[in-house]
Amino acid sequence: MIPRGAEAIQRLARRIGTDLIPKAADAYTAADLGFMTALLGMVAQDFDRAADVLTTQHEALVPILRDAAERLGDPDLAARIAAALDQPPASLRISDLTARADATLRLLIEAHAAVEVAADAGADWATGLNARIWRFLEIQTAAEAYQAAI
Amino acid sequence: MAHIPGGASRETWRLTASVGDETRGMVVRIDPETSLIDTDRRIEYRAMEAAWRAGLPAPEPLFLEEDLQWLGRPFSLSAEVGGCQSSAELIPSERREALGREKWTLMGKLAALDVATLGLDGVMPPTTPETCALQQLDYWAGVIVEDELHPNPVAHAAIRWLRRHPPPPAQKLCLVHGDYRTGNFLYSPEGELKAILDWEMAHLGDPLEDLAWSMDPLWCWTEPQLAGRLLPHKAAVQAWEAGSGLTVDPAAFRWWQVFAALKGLGIWISSSEDFHSGQTQAPILAIAGWLMTDRQQRILIDYLSPSSPRRFVRDVK
Repeated sequence: MIPRGAEAIQRLARRIGTDLIPKAADAYTAADLGFMTALLGMVAQDFDRAADVLTTQHEALVPILRDAAERLGDPDLAARIAAALDQPPASLRISDLTARADATLRLLIEAHAAVEVAADAGADWATGLNARIWRFLEIQTAAEAYQAAI
Repeated sequence: MAHIPGGASRETWRLTASVGDETRGMVVRIDPETSLIDTDRRIEYRAMEAAWRAGLPAPEPLFLEEDLQWLGRPFSLSAEVGGCQSSAELIPSERREALGREKWTLMGKLAALDVATLGLDGVMPPTTPETCALQQLDYWAGVIVEDELHPNPVAHAAIRWLRRHPPPPAQKLCLVHGDYRTGNFLYSPEGELKAILDWEMAHLGDPLEDLAWSMDPLWCWTEPQLAGRLLPHKAAVQAWEAGSGLTVDPAAFRWWQVFAALKGLGIWISSSEDFHSGQTQAPILAIAGWLMTDRQQRILIDYLSPSSPRRFVRDVK
């Protein structure tokens, strides 16, 4: 394993920024290297936090999807939600956690659309669940935000 | 020849051409093998040509070549607008307000042009005041559905919101630039706007579309109090209204603001797909796909979430 991976990536980014960009032959190359420096900074952030972001997201989604399944009166959607939530990830690799997240987010999109319809029809539970879904999206998006100097 | 950095939709080169005693600076725009924005080269060229002929500051269009035998890809030539900058960071602070007024007044003048006189029939997809908004929404929703690498609940929620709250018909049809923002025009050292660039997303549509896009919070991320890092939002709208002779309906404008953020998200999702599919290794597409997706999602959540603090919402009237 790379020791202190996120820190190592940041060091590589700094090396590009301080040593290589000043030696770039033209403005186009300098700009490309500048973008790569910023991208490496983002990779370093994800390197450290990706597993936490993906597992925290799943834990937050479980009660929302279970409530949606119970309230929406759609047996097919409820069965698919139950199946997805009962299925553990194939491993703790980021790729497998991401695959699980993709599956549950697809179900969230479908459930959210149905919740909006119910909320528009005046169902109080749907208004509350809609607000919870948006709060989840706010928290999740904040957790995934990058710190970047551009 | 020099490769100009920054452009993500076309490969752009600056060159000097000499014939006999005459020497002239030119810019060649070449279709890349893949691009942040998939659009027709002819539309871009004809839109820029229409604006230039109407007297708006645009690079003088010189030549459109769609025959692949010369460079292997279509390209266009335009006159170089020399001695100018496009970077928002380099605008002298004391010139920002005047440049901002000029920017939005010119945007208003673009909106005021009579599209029937621009020679764009048959060049751009036809539309009507009643259908132009949902046509644009259909297009960008399609891009998102086709290109998203991971499910994006924020984008899908925004698409549903826009469909549930359609705007009123456009006050008129106009030539929409499609990407008229700070960074996409050239200004002189004195701070005078010399040329509006990057017409590749031009189309016929609602005048409010350009106004909302130009005021998207993404373009003033570090200075949210200034639309496009130039002017307070109300002042920008006043300049646009003076230039266009049109009045901004805040309710319709809100729809176009949400649409602008969704369109941005569509562009960033698409550029990420291009990068990850290996169609391009240009890092600018990864920057757009990773960083801008993150920011644009935060803007949409701020617009639409019942519990958001509305950090990005500004009064425009």
